[in-house]
Amino acid sequence: MILEANNITVSFGKNTVLHDVSHTFKEGKITVILGPNGCGKTTLVKAVVKLHARSGELAYIAQDMYGNIGLTVRDMVALGRYDRTKFLIGESPEDQEHIDRALTLMKLKDKEERIFDTLSGGEKQRCMAARAICQDGSWFIMDEPSSNLDAVHSKLIMDTARELTDKNGKSFIIVMHDVNTAVSYADEFVLMKDGRIIRVCETLTADDLSLTFDTSFRSVTTPSGKSVFYTE
Amino acid sequence: MQQHKVTSDGFYYKITIAVIILICVMAVSCCLGSSGIGLRDVITYFTGRGDELSSTTLTIIGKIRVPRTLTATLVGGALAAVGCVMQGLFRNPMADPSVLGISSGAALGASVAIITGLNGVIIFEAFTGAYIGAVAGAVVTWLMVFTIASQNGKYDTSSTLLAGIAISSIMSALITVLMTLHLEQMERVYMWMLGTFSASTPSKTKLLAAVVLVLMPILILISPRIDVLKLGKETAMTLGVDQKKTLALCLGICSCLLAFCVANSGIIGFVGLIIPHIASFFKVTRMRRRLSLSFMTGAIFMVVCDTVCKTVVAPGELAIGAVTSLIGAPYFLFLLMSSRIRGGRERSSV
Repeated sequence: MILEANNITVSFGKNTVLHDVSHTFKEGKITVILGPNGCGKTTLVKAVVKLHARSGELAYIAQDMYGNIGLTVRDMVALGRYDRTKFLIGESPEDQEHIDRALTLMKLKDKEERIFDTLSGGEKQRCMAARAICQDGSWFIMDEPSSNLDAVHSKLIMDTARELTDKNGKSFIIVMHDVNTAVSYADEFVLMKDGRIIRVCETLTADDLSLTFDTSFRSVTTPSGKSVFYTE
Repeated sequence: MQQHKVTSDGFYYKITIAVIILICVMAVSCCLGSSGIGLRDVITYFTGRGDELSSTTLTIIGKIRVPRTLTATLVGGALAAVGCVMQGLFRNPMADPSVLGISSGAALGASVAIITGLNGVIIFEAFTGAYIGAVAGAVVTWLMVFTIASQNGKYDTSSTLLAGIAISSIMSALITVLMTLHLEQMERVYMWMLGTFSASTPSKTKLLAAVVLVLMPILILISPRIDVLKLGKETAMTLGVDQKKTLALCLGICSCLLAFCVANSGIIGFVGLIIPHIASFFKVTRMRRRLSLSFMTGAIFMVVCDTVCKTVVAPGELAIGAVTSLIGAPYFLFLLMSSRIRGGRERSSV
Protein backbone atom coordinates (compact mmCIF):
# COMPACT_ATOMS: atom_id res chain seq x y z
CA MET A 1 0.00 0.00 0.00
CA ILE A 2 1.31 3.46 -0.92
CA LEU A 3 0.74 6.21 1.60
CA GLU A 4 0.17 9.56 -0.04
CA ALA A 5 -0.70 13.02 1.14
CA ASN A 6 -2.03 15.08 -1.76
CA ASN A 7 -2.56 18.84 -1.53
CA ILE A 8 -3.53 18.84 2.14
CA THR A 9 -4.61 22.17 3.59
CA VAL A 10 -5.79 22.30 7.21
CA SER A 11 -7.19 25.40 8.93
CA PHE A 12 -8.45 25.99 12.45
CA GLY A 13 -10.71 29.03 12.09
CA LYS A 14 -8.68 31.70 10.31
CA ASN A 15 -5.39 30.04 11.22
CA THR A 16 -4.05 27.85 8.40
CA VAL A 17 -1.78 25.15 9.86
CA LEU A 18 -0.96 23.20 6.67
CA HIS A 19 -0.56 24.89 3.28
CA ASP A 20 -1.20 22.58 0.33
CA VAL A 21 1.16 19.83 1.52
CA SER A 22 1.88 16.85 -0.74
CA HIS A 23 4.22 13.92 -0.18
CA THR A 24 4.42 10.23 -1.04
CA PHE A 25 5.88 8.22 1.84
CA LYS A 26 8.27 5.43 0.86
CA GLU A 27 7.29 1.83 1.56
CA GLY A 28 9.65 -0.32 3.63
CA LYS A 29 11.50 2.74 4.97
CA ILE A 30 11.66 4.81 8.15
CA THR A 31 10.62 8.38 7.35
CA VAL A 32 11.28 10.93 10.07
CA ILE A 33 9.42 14.26 10.10
CA LEU A 34 11.45 17.04 11.71
CA GLY A 35 10.55 20.64 12.37
CA PRO A 36 10.08 23.27 15.07
CA ASN A 37 7.11 23.27 17.46
CA GLY A 38 3.84 24.30 15.84
CA CYS A 39 5.07 23.76 12.25
CA GLY A 40 2.24 21.29 11.51
CA LYS A 41 3.94 17.88 11.98
CA THR A 42 1.16 16.42 14.14
CA THR A 43 -1.54 17.97 11.92
CA LEU A 44 0.09 16.36 8.86
CA VAL A 45 0.27 12.86 10.37
CA LYS A 46 -3.29 13.14 11.72
CA ALA A 47 -4.48 14.12 8.23
CA VAL A 48 -2.64 11.12 6.73
CA VAL A 49 -4.21 8.85 9.38
CA LYS A 50 -7.72 10.18 8.63
CA LEU A 51 -7.19 9.70 4.88
CA HIS A 52 -6.00 6.12 5.13
CA ALA A 53 -7.52 4.86 8.41
CA ARG A 54 -10.09 2.67 6.71
CA SER A 55 -7.44 0.64 4.89
CA GLY A 56 -6.89 -1.44 8.05
CA GLU A 57 -3.15 -1.30 7.35
CA LEU A 58 -2.36 1.64 9.62
CA ALA A 59 -1.26 1.64 13.25
CA TYR A 60 -1.11 5.07 14.87
CA ILE A 61 0.48 6.12 18.15
CA ALA A 62 -0.81 9.55 19.11
CA GLN A 63 1.26 12.15 20.94
CA ASP A 64 -1.35 12.78 23.63
CA MET A 65 -2.52 10.03 25.97
CA TYR A 66 -5.74 10.15 27.91
CA GLY A 67 -6.18 9.61 31.63
CA ASN A 68 -8.84 7.50 33.35
CA ILE A 69 -8.51 4.57 30.94
CA GLY A 70 -9.19 1.89 33.57
CA LEU A 71 -7.93 -1.04 31.45
CA THR A 72 -5.06 -3.41 32.21
CA VAL A 73 -1.89 -3.31 30.10
CA ARG A 74 -2.93 -6.56 28.42
CA ASP A 75 -6.42 -5.18 27.66
CA MET A 76 -4.82 -2.09 26.09
CA VAL A 77 -2.51 -4.14 23.90
CA ALA A 78 -5.41 -6.46 23.00
CA LEU A 79 -7.34 -3.44 21.64
CA GLY A 80 -4.87 -3.57 18.75
CA ARG A 81 -6.66 -6.75 17.62
CA TYR A 82 -10.13 -5.17 17.94
CA ASP A 83 -10.98 -5.12 14.23
CA ARG A 84 -9.82 -8.74 13.82
CA THR A 85 -11.50 -10.35 16.83
CA LYS A 86 -14.71 -12.28 16.51
CA PHE A 87 -17.75 -10.24 17.47
CA LEU A 88 -18.90 -12.43 20.33
CA ILE A 89 -16.06 -14.86 20.98
CA GLY A 90 -13.27 -12.34 21.48
CA GLU A 91 -9.57 -12.99 20.84
CA SER A 92 -8.50 -16.21 19.12
CA PRO A 93 -5.33 -18.14 20.10
CA GLU A 94 -3.63 -16.37 17.17
CA ASP A 95 -4.64 -12.99 18.61
CA GLN A 96 -3.29 -14.05 22.02
CA GLU A 97 -0.02 -14.99 20.32
CA HIS A 98 0.24 -11.49 18.79
CA ILE A 99 -0.54 -9.88 22.16
CA ASP A 100 2.08 -11.97 23.98
CA ARG A 101 4.71 -11.26 21.33
CA ALA A 102 4.09 -7.49 21.45
CA LEU A 103 4.19 -7.46 25.27
CA THR A 104 7.48 -9.39 25.29
CA LEU A 105 8.99 -7.15 22.60
CA MET A 106 8.22 -4.00 24.60
CA LYS A 107 9.36 -5.67 27.87
CA LEU A 108 5.94 -5.36 29.48
CA LYS A 109 5.13 -9.04 30.08
CA ASP A 110 5.63 -8.70 33.84
CA LYS A 111 3.31 -5.68 33.96
CA GLU A 112 0.45 -7.08 31.87
CA GLU A 113 -2.04 -7.12 34.74
CA ARG A 114 -1.23 -3.60 35.94
CA ILE A 115 -3.87 -0.90 35.35
CA PHE A 116 -2.67 1.34 32.48
CA ASP A 117 -3.25 4.55 34.47
CA THR A 118 -0.81 3.43 37.19
CA LEU A 119 2.13 3.08 34.74
CA SER A 120 4.87 5.68 34.36
CA GLY A 121 4.87 7.91 31.27
CA GLY A 122 7.53 5.79 29.56
CA GLU A 123 5.75 2.51 30.34
CA LYS A 124 2.54 3.97 28.90
CA GLN A 125 4.38 4.85 25.70
CA ARG A 126 5.81 1.32 25.44
CA CYS A 127 2.31 -0.05 26.03
CA MET A 128 0.95 2.07 23.16
CA ALA A 129 3.84 0.89 20.97
CA ALA A 130 3.00 -2.73 21.89
CA ARG A 131 -0.65 -2.06 20.94
CA ALA A 132 0.47 -0.70 17.55
CA ILE A 133 2.78 -3.70 16.95
CA CYS A 134 -0.08 -6.04 17.90
CA GLN A 135 -2.26 -4.35 15.26
CA ASP A 136 0.08 -5.89 12.65
CA GLY A 137 -0.55 -3.32 9.92
CA SER A 138 1.98 -2.55 7.19
CA TRP A 139 2.34 1.14 8.14
CA PHE A 140 3.21 2.62 11.55
CA ILE A 141 2.69 6.31 12.21
CA MET A 142 4.25 7.43 15.48
CA ASP A 143 3.96 10.94 16.88
CA GLU A 144 6.90 11.52 19.22
CA PRO A 145 7.06 7.91 20.43
CA SER A 146 10.09 8.47 22.65
CA SER A 147 9.25 11.81 24.30
CA ASN A 148 8.78 10.22 27.76
CA LEU A 149 11.38 7.48 27.39
CA ASP A 150 14.83 7.12 28.89
CA ALA A 151 17.76 6.47 26.54
CA VAL A 152 17.52 2.65 26.92
CA HIS A 153 13.81 2.40 26.15
CA SER A 154 14.00 5.03 23.43
CA LYS A 155 16.63 2.82 21.78
CA LEU A 156 14.36 -0.21 22.31
CA ILE A 157 11.51 1.44 20.38
CA MET A 158 13.73 2.70 17.57
CA ASP A 159 15.62 -0.63 17.30
CA THR A 160 12.25 -2.41 17.09
CA ALA A 161 11.18 -0.02 14.31
CA ARG A 162 14.42 -0.73 12.42
CA GLU A 163 14.00 -4.48 12.85
CA LEU A 164 10.35 -4.46 11.73
CA THR A 165 11.36 -2.40 8.68
CA ASP A 166 14.35 -4.54 7.67
CA LYS A 167 13.00 -8.03 8.49
CA ASN A 168 9.23 -7.66 8.08
CA GLY A 169 9.05 -4.99 5.39
CA LYS A 170 7.00 -2.61 7.57
CA SER A 171 7.03 1.15 6.93
CA PHE A 172 7.34 3.88 9.55
CA ILE A 173 6.49 7.57 9.65
CA ILE A 174 7.90 9.04 12.86
CA VAL A 175 7.57 12.58 14.17
CA MET A 176 10.46 13.40 16.50
CA HIS A 177 12.49 16.21 17.99
CA ASP A 178 15.77 14.45 18.74
CA VAL A 179 17.80 15.16 15.61
CA ASN A 180 20.65 12.77 16.45
CA THR A 181 18.31 9.81 17.11
CA ALA A 182 16.61 10.63 13.81
CA VAL A 183 19.95 10.56 11.99
CA SER A 184 20.74 7.11 13.45
CA TYR A 185 17.53 5.47 12.21
CA ALA A 186 15.90 7.44 9.37
CA ASP A 187 16.02 6.41 5.70
CA GLU A 188 14.34 9.64 4.67
CA PHE A 189 13.87 13.05 6.30
CA VAL A 190 10.89 15.33 5.75
CA LEU A 191 11.70 18.82 7.03
CA MET A 192 8.76 21.08 7.85
CA LYS A 193 8.45 24.77 8.63
CA ASP A 194 5.40 27.09 8.92
CA GLY A 195 2.93 24.47 7.66
CA ARG A 196 4.94 23.51 4.57
CA ILE A 197 7.39 20.75 3.63
CA ILE A 198 10.57 22.68 2.85
CA ARG A 199 12.89 19.78 2.05
CA VAL A 200 12.91 15.99 1.59
CA CYS A 201 16.31 14.29 1.78
CA GLU A 202 18.06 11.02 2.59
CA THR A 203 21.08 12.62 4.26
CA LEU A 204 20.75 15.46 6.72
CA THR A 205 23.14 18.42 6.75
CA ALA A 206 23.70 21.18 9.33
CA ASP A 207 22.49 23.73 6.75
CA ASP A 208 19.16 21.89 6.33
CA LEU A 209 18.63 21.96 10.08
CA SER A 210 19.67 25.61 10.40
CA LEU A 211 17.16 26.54 7.70
CA THR A 212 14.39 24.47 9.29
CA PHE A 213 14.83 25.58 12.88
CA ASP A 214 16.05 29.16 12.24
CA THR A 215 19.05 28.56 14.45
CA SER A 216 22.67 27.76 13.71
CA PHE A 217 23.43 24.01 13.67
CA ARG A 218 26.89 22.49 13.36
CA SER A 219 28.01 18.91 13.05
CA VAL A 220 31.01 16.86 14.07
CA THR A 221 31.95 13.47 12.75
CA THR A 222 32.65 10.76 15.33
CA PRO A 223 35.54 8.26 14.87
CA SER A 224 32.93 5.73 13.69
CA GLY A 225 32.00 8.11 10.86
CA LYS A 226 28.67 9.17 12.28
CA SER A 227 27.53 12.84 12.18
CA VAL A 228 26.43 14.42 15.45
CA PHE A 229 24.53 17.71 15.30
CA TYR A 230 24.56 20.45 17.90
CA THR A 231 23.36 24.02 18.19
CA GLU A 232 25.65 26.89 19.01
CA MET B 1 3.99 -25.46 21.82
CA GLN B 2 4.02 -22.28 23.85
CA GLN B 3 1.09 -21.92 26.22
CA HIS B 4 -0.45 -18.46 26.10
CA LYS B 5 -1.48 -16.96 29.36
CA VAL B 6 -4.95 -15.51 29.08
CA THR B 7 -5.67 -13.15 31.96
CA SER B 8 -8.69 -14.41 33.82
CA ASP B 9 -10.75 -11.91 35.75
CA GLY B 10 -13.21 -14.56 36.97
CA PHE B 11 -16.01 -12.82 35.10
CA TYR B 12 -18.23 -15.86 34.49
CA TYR B 13 -17.90 -16.90 38.14
CA LYS B 14 -18.76 -13.38 39.33
CA ILE B 15 -21.73 -12.95 36.98
CA THR B 16 -23.15 -16.36 38.00
CA ILE B 17 -22.94 -15.38 41.68
CA ALA B 18 -24.60 -12.03 40.83
CA VAL B 19 -27.48 -13.78 39.01
CA ILE B 20 -28.05 -16.13 41.97
CA ILE B 21 -28.02 -13.21 44.44
CA LEU B 22 -30.41 -11.24 42.22
CA ILE B 23 -32.90 -14.12 42.08
CA CYS B 24 -32.69 -14.48 45.89
CA VAL B 25 -33.26 -10.77 46.62
CA MET B 26 -36.10 -10.63 44.06
CA ALA B 27 -37.76 -13.60 45.80
CA VAL B 28 -37.37 -11.95 49.22
CA SER B 29 -38.71 -8.66 47.85
CA CYS B 30 -41.80 -10.42 46.45
CA CYS B 31 -42.48 -11.95 49.88
CA LEU B 32 -42.31 -8.68 51.81
CA GLY B 33 -44.78 -5.83 51.88
CA SER B 34 -47.39 -4.08 53.99
CA SER B 35 -49.98 -6.91 53.63
CA GLY B 36 -49.50 -10.24 55.41
CA ILE B 37 -48.76 -12.24 52.25
CA GLY B 38 -45.64 -14.33 52.77
CA LEU B 39 -43.32 -16.89 51.23
CA ARG B 40 -45.89 -19.73 51.15
CA ASP B 41 -48.39 -17.67 49.07
CA VAL B 42 -45.67 -16.47 46.71
CA ILE B 43 -44.43 -20.06 46.14
CA THR B 44 -48.04 -21.17 45.51
CA TYR B 45 -48.42 -18.34 42.97
CA PHE B 46 -45.20 -19.15 41.10
CA THR B 47 -45.76 -22.90 41.04
CA GLY B 48 -48.93 -22.34 38.96
CA ARG B 49 -51.39 -23.12 41.73
CA GLY B 50 -52.81 -19.58 41.80
CA ASP B 51 -56.40 -20.86 41.96
CA GLU B 52 -55.73 -22.00 45.55
CA LEU B 53 -55.22 -18.36 46.58
CA SER B 54 -57.85 -15.71 47.30
CA SER B 55 -58.45 -13.09 44.61
CA THR B 56 -57.00 -10.35 46.88
CA THR B 57 -53.78 -12.31 47.35
CA LEU B 58 -53.59 -12.99 43.61
CA THR B 59 -54.03 -9.28 42.85
CA ILE B 60 -51.43 -8.21 45.42
CA ILE B 61 -48.80 -10.66 44.17
CA GLY B 62 -49.52 -10.46 40.43
CA LYS B 63 -50.41 -6.82 40.02
CA ILE B 64 -48.43 -5.10 42.76
CA ARG B 65 -45.46 -7.04 44.16
CA VAL B 66 -44.13 -8.81 41.04
CA PRO B 67 -44.38 -5.72 38.77
CA ARG B 68 -42.79 -3.59 41.50
CA THR B 69 -39.87 -5.97 42.05
CA LEU B 70 -39.32 -6.37 38.30
CA THR B 71 -39.44 -2.59 37.79
CA ALA B 72 -36.87 -2.07 40.57
CA THR B 73 -34.64 -4.75 38.95
CA LEU B 74 -34.86 -3.23 35.48
CA VAL B 75 -34.53 0.40 36.58
CA GLY B 76 -31.60 -0.35 38.93
CA GLY B 77 -29.79 -2.35 36.26
CA ALA B 78 -30.42 0.16 33.50
CA LEU B 79 -29.37 3.20 35.60
CA ALA B 80 -26.13 1.48 36.65
CA ALA B 81 -25.42 0.41 33.05
CA VAL B 82 -26.05 3.94 31.73
CA GLY B 83 -23.74 5.34 34.43
CA CYS B 84 -21.06 2.83 33.45
CA VAL B 85 -21.32 3.84 29.76
CA MET B 86 -21.21 7.56 30.62
CA GLN B 87 -18.09 7.16 32.78
CA GLY B 88 -16.40 5.16 30.03
CA LEU B 89 -17.39 7.45 27.15
CA PHE B 90 -16.52 10.68 28.95
CA ARG B 91 -13.48 9.09 30.68
CA ASN B 92 -14.69 10.78 33.83
CA PRO B 93 -15.39 8.90 37.08
CA MET B 94 -17.81 11.66 38.12
CA ALA B 95 -20.07 11.25 35.06
CA ASP B 96 -23.54 9.84 35.74
CA PRO B 97 -26.86 9.55 33.89
CA SER B 98 -27.84 13.11 34.87
CA VAL B 99 -25.03 14.75 32.83
CA LEU B 100 -27.00 14.55 29.60
CA GLY B 101 -29.94 16.42 31.13
CA ILE B 102 -32.29 13.54 30.21
CA SER B 103 -33.52 13.03 33.81
CA SER B 104 -34.24 16.75 34.23
CA GLY B 105 -35.98 16.84 30.83
CA ALA B 106 -38.14 13.86 31.79
CA ALA B 107 -38.94 15.47 35.16
CA LEU B 108 -39.94 18.70 33.39
CA GLY B 109 -42.24 16.76 31.02
CA ALA B 110 -43.86 14.97 33.95
CA SER B 111 -44.18 18.23 35.95
CA VAL B 112 -45.93 19.95 33.04
CA ALA B 113 -48.34 16.99 32.79
CA ILE B 114 -49.05 17.06 36.54
CA ILE B 115 -49.54 20.84 36.69
CA THR B 116 -51.76 21.02 33.61
CA GLY B 117 -53.92 18.24 35.01
CA LEU B 118 -52.95 15.76 32.27
CA ASN B 119 -51.74 13.30 34.91
CA GLY B 120 -55.31 12.20 35.57
CA VAL B 121 -55.74 11.29 31.92
CA ILE B 122 -55.20 7.58 31.34
CA ILE B 123 -53.96 7.40 27.79
CA PHE B 124 -53.55 3.65 27.34
CA GLU B 125 -54.14 1.03 30.02
CA ALA B 126 -52.23 2.37 33.05
CA PHE B 127 -50.13 4.97 31.23
CA THR B 128 -50.82 8.32 32.86
CA GLY B 129 -50.17 11.77 31.45
CA ALA B 130 -47.08 12.10 33.66
CA TYR B 131 -45.61 8.90 32.15
CA ILE B 132 -46.07 10.10 28.59
CA GLY B 133 -44.86 13.58 29.61
CA ALA B 134 -41.66 12.12 31.06
CA VAL B 135 -40.86 10.07 27.93
CA ALA B 136 -41.64 13.06 25.68
CA GLY B 137 -39.54 15.39 27.88
CA ALA B 138 -36.58 12.99 27.76
CA VAL B 139 -36.75 12.57 23.97
CA VAL B 140 -37.02 16.33 23.37
CA THR B 141 -34.06 16.97 25.72
CA TRP B 142 -31.87 14.39 23.97
CA LEU B 143 -32.70 15.87 20.57
CA MET B 144 -31.78 19.34 21.90
CA VAL B 145 -28.45 18.12 23.34
CA PHE B 146 -27.62 16.22 20.15
CA THR B 147 -28.52 19.14 17.87
CA ILE B 148 -26.57 21.71 19.90
CA ALA B 149 -23.54 19.42 20.33
CA SER B 150 -23.35 18.73 16.58
CA GLN B 151 -23.79 22.40 15.57
CA ASN B 152 -20.16 22.93 14.53
CA GLY B 153 -20.12 19.62 12.67
CA LYS B 154 -17.69 18.26 15.28
CA TYR B 155 -19.84 16.04 17.47
CA ASP B 156 -17.57 14.91 20.34
CA THR B 157 -17.63 14.05 24.03
CA SER B 158 -16.82 17.49 25.44
CA SER B 159 -19.44 19.36 23.38
CA THR B 160 -22.06 16.74 24.34
CA LEU B 161 -21.10 16.96 28.02
CA LEU B 162 -21.22 20.78 28.06
CA ALA B 163 -24.50 20.96 26.12
CA GLY B 164 -26.00 18.31 28.46
CA ILE B 165 -24.95 20.13 31.63
CA ALA B 166 -26.30 23.48 30.34
CA ILE B 167 -29.63 22.00 29.21
CA SER B 168 -29.93 20.08 32.48
CA SER B 169 -29.62 23.38 34.38
CA ILE B 170 -32.27 25.01 32.20
CA MET B 171 -34.68 22.10 32.73
CA SER B 172 -34.12 22.11 36.53
CA ALA B 173 -34.66 25.88 36.62
CA LEU B 174 -37.90 25.53 34.62
CA ILE B 175 -39.17 22.89 37.08
CA THR B 176 -38.44 25.27 39.98
CA VAL B 177 -40.29 28.10 38.18
CA LEU B 178 -43.28 25.82 37.47
CA MET B 179 -43.39 24.64 41.08
CA THR B 180 -43.25 28.23 42.38
CA LEU B 181 -46.05 29.31 40.05
CA HIS B 182 -48.23 26.34 41.03
CA LEU B 183 -47.64 25.94 44.74
CA GLU B 184 -50.80 23.84 45.14
CA GLN B 185 -49.25 21.13 42.89
CA MET B 186 -45.79 21.42 44.40
CA GLU B 187 -46.12 18.42 46.71
CA ARG B 188 -47.23 16.08 43.91
CA VAL B 189 -44.43 17.19 41.60
CA TYR B 190 -41.92 16.92 44.46
CA MET B 191 -43.08 13.43 45.44
CA TRP B 192 -42.85 12.31 41.82
CA MET B 193 -39.32 13.68 41.57
CA LEU B 194 -38.21 11.89 44.75
CA GLY B 195 -38.80 8.60 42.98
CA THR B 196 -40.90 5.59 43.91
CA PHE B 197 -41.74 2.12 42.62
CA SER B 198 -45.19 2.11 44.23
CA ALA B 199 -46.89 3.22 41.00
CA SER B 200 -45.65 0.13 39.08
CA THR B 201 -48.32 -1.69 37.09
CA PRO B 202 -48.07 -4.86 34.95
CA SER B 203 -48.49 -2.93 31.69
CA LYS B 204 -45.82 -0.31 32.58
CA THR B 205 -43.47 -3.09 33.70
CA LYS B 206 -44.01 -5.02 30.45
CA LEU B 207 -43.16 -1.96 28.36
CA LEU B 208 -40.07 -1.21 30.48
CA ALA B 209 -38.98 -4.86 30.25
CA ALA B 210 -39.35 -4.78 26.45
CA VAL B 211 -37.26 -1.58 26.21
CA VAL B 212 -34.52 -2.87 28.56
CA LEU B 213 -34.41 -6.38 27.08
CA VAL B 214 -34.00 -5.01 23.55
CA LEU B 215 -31.60 -2.13 24.28
CA MET B 216 -29.33 -3.67 26.94
CA PRO B 217 -28.04 -6.52 24.72
CA ILE B 218 -27.32 -3.99 21.94
CA LEU B 219 -25.43 -1.79 24.42
CA ILE B 220 -23.45 -4.78 25.73
CA LEU B 221 -22.60 -5.89 22.16
CA ILE B 222 -21.30 -2.49 21.05
CA SER B 223 -19.61 -1.62 24.37
CA PRO B 224 -16.06 -2.76 23.37
CA ARG B 225 -16.09 0.26 21.02
CA ILE B 226 -16.08 2.45 24.15
CA ASP B 227 -12.76 0.85 25.14
CA VAL B 228 -11.35 1.52 21.66
CA LEU B 229 -12.40 5.19 21.85
CA LYS B 230 -10.19 5.54 24.94
CA LEU B 231 -7.21 5.34 22.56
CA GLY B 232 -8.24 8.64 20.92
CA LYS B 233 -10.28 9.52 17.85
CA GLU B 234 -7.65 8.90 15.16
CA THR B 235 -6.35 5.62 16.64
CA ALA B 236 -9.95 4.40 16.98
CA MET B 237 -10.45 5.18 13.28
CA THR B 238 -7.54 2.91 12.34
CA LEU B 239 -9.33 0.12 14.26
CA GLY B 240 -12.58 0.72 12.39
CA VAL B 241 -14.38 2.64 15.16
CA ASP B 242 -15.98 5.97 14.27
CA GLN B 243 -16.19 8.28 17.30
CA LYS B 244 -19.22 10.24 16.11
CA LYS B 245 -21.31 7.18 15.23
CA THR B 246 -20.37 5.34 18.43
CA LEU B 247 -21.20 8.35 20.60
CA ALA B 248 -24.53 8.95 18.88
CA LEU B 249 -25.50 5.26 19.10
CA CYS B 250 -24.43 4.73 22.73
CA LEU B 251 -25.90 7.98 24.01
CA GLY B 252 -29.10 7.47 21.98
CA ILE B 253 -29.61 4.05 23.58
CA CYS B 254 -28.76 5.42 27.05
CA SER B 255 -31.23 8.29 26.60
CA CYS B 256 -33.99 5.90 25.61
CA LEU B 257 -33.29 3.66 28.63
CA LEU B 258 -33.23 6.69 30.94
CA ALA B 259 -36.48 8.07 29.52
CA PHE B 260 -38.36 4.90 30.42
CA CYS B 261 -36.63 4.52 33.81
CA VAL B 262 -37.54 8.07 34.85
CA ALA B 263 -41.09 7.70 33.49
CA ASN B 264 -41.56 4.52 35.55
CA SER B 265 -40.03 5.56 38.83
CA GLY B 266 -39.10 9.26 38.87
CA ILE B 267 -35.56 10.49 39.46
CA ILE B 268 -33.37 8.14 41.49
CA GLY B 269 -29.91 9.59 41.96
CA PHE B 270 -26.68 7.98 43.15
CA VAL B 271 -27.18 4.53 41.53
CA GLY B 272 -25.76 5.54 38.14
CA LEU B 273 -22.79 7.29 39.74
CA ILE B 274 -21.70 4.83 42.41
CA ILE B 275 -22.70 1.35 41.19
CA PRO B 276 -20.14 1.32 38.32
CA HIS B 277 -17.48 2.12 40.94
CA ILE B 278 -18.74 -0.65 43.23
CA ALA B 279 -18.61 -2.96 40.18
CA SER B 280 -14.99 -1.86 39.62
CA PHE B 281 -14.06 -3.38 43.00
CA PHE B 282 -14.77 -6.76 41.35
CA LYS B 283 -11.59 -6.13 39.29
CA VAL B 284 -13.24 -6.51 35.92
CA THR B 285 -11.81 -3.99 33.49
CA ARG B 286 -13.16 -4.51 29.96
CA MET B 287 -16.27 -2.47 29.20
CA ARG B 288 -18.47 -5.39 28.06
CA ARG B 289 -17.85 -7.25 31.31
CA ARG B 290 -18.01 -4.13 33.49
CA LEU B 291 -21.32 -3.19 31.89
CA SER B 292 -22.84 -6.63 32.50
CA LEU B 293 -21.63 -6.67 36.12
CA SER B 294 -22.78 -3.07 36.68
CA PHE B 295 -26.25 -4.02 35.41
CA MET B 296 -26.47 -6.98 37.79
CA THR B 297 -25.07 -5.00 40.76
CA GLY B 298 -27.45 -2.10 40.09
CA ALA B 299 -30.41 -4.48 39.88
CA ILE B 300 -29.51 -6.23 43.15
CA PHE B 301 -28.88 -2.92 44.89
CA MET B 302 -32.17 -1.38 43.76
CA VAL B 303 -34.26 -4.41 44.76
CA VAL B 304 -32.64 -4.39 48.23
CA CYS B 305 -33.26 -0.63 48.60
CA ASP B 306 -36.88 -0.94 47.45
CA THR B 307 -37.46 -3.79 49.90
CA VAL B 308 -36.15 -1.56 52.70
CA CYS B 309 -38.37 1.31 51.46
CA LYS B 310 -41.58 -0.65 51.63
CA THR B 311 -40.94 -2.57 54.85
CA VAL B 312 -39.18 -0.28 57.37
CA VAL B 313 -42.08 2.12 57.95
CA ALA B 314 -44.92 -0.13 56.62
CA PRO B 315 -47.67 0.59 55.75
CA GLY B 316 -45.96 3.89 54.83
CA GLU B 317 -42.98 4.15 52.48
CA LEU B 318 -39.58 5.80 52.49
CA ALA B 319 -38.34 7.76 49.43
CA ILE B 320 -36.23 5.41 47.28
CA GLY B 321 -33.68 8.14 46.48
CA ALA B 322 -32.94 8.65 50.18
CA VAL B 323 -32.57 4.90 50.79
CA THR B 324 -30.22 4.36 47.82
CA SER B 325 -27.93 7.08 49.21
CA LEU B 326 -28.20 5.95 52.85
CA ILE B 327 -27.35 2.31 52.06
CA GLY B 328 -25.07 2.80 49.07
CA ALA B 329 -22.84 5.64 50.23
CA PRO B 330 -21.63 4.00 53.49
CA TYR B 331 -21.08 0.70 51.63
CA PHE B 332 -19.10 2.50 48.95
CA LEU B 333 -17.01 4.33 51.58
CA PHE B 334 -16.38 0.99 53.34
CA LEU B 335 -15.11 -0.54 50.06
CA LEU B 336 -12.99 2.54 49.39
CA MET B 337 -11.39 2.51 52.83
CA SER B 338 -10.83 -1.24 52.95
CA SER B 339 -9.08 -1.17 49.57
CA ARG B 340 -6.84 1.66 50.82
CA ILE B 341 -6.11 -0.19 54.07
CA ARG B 342 -5.09 -3.31 52.13
CA GLY B 343 -2.23 -1.30 50.72
CA GLY B 344 -3.72 0.68 47.86
CA ARG B 345 -4.71 -2.33 45.80
CA GLU B 346 -5.02 -1.35 42.19
CA ARG B 347 -8.49 -0.40 41.17
CA SER B 348 -9.59 0.86 37.81
CA SER B 349 -11.39 4.18 38.06
CA VAL B 350 -13.46 4.11 34.87
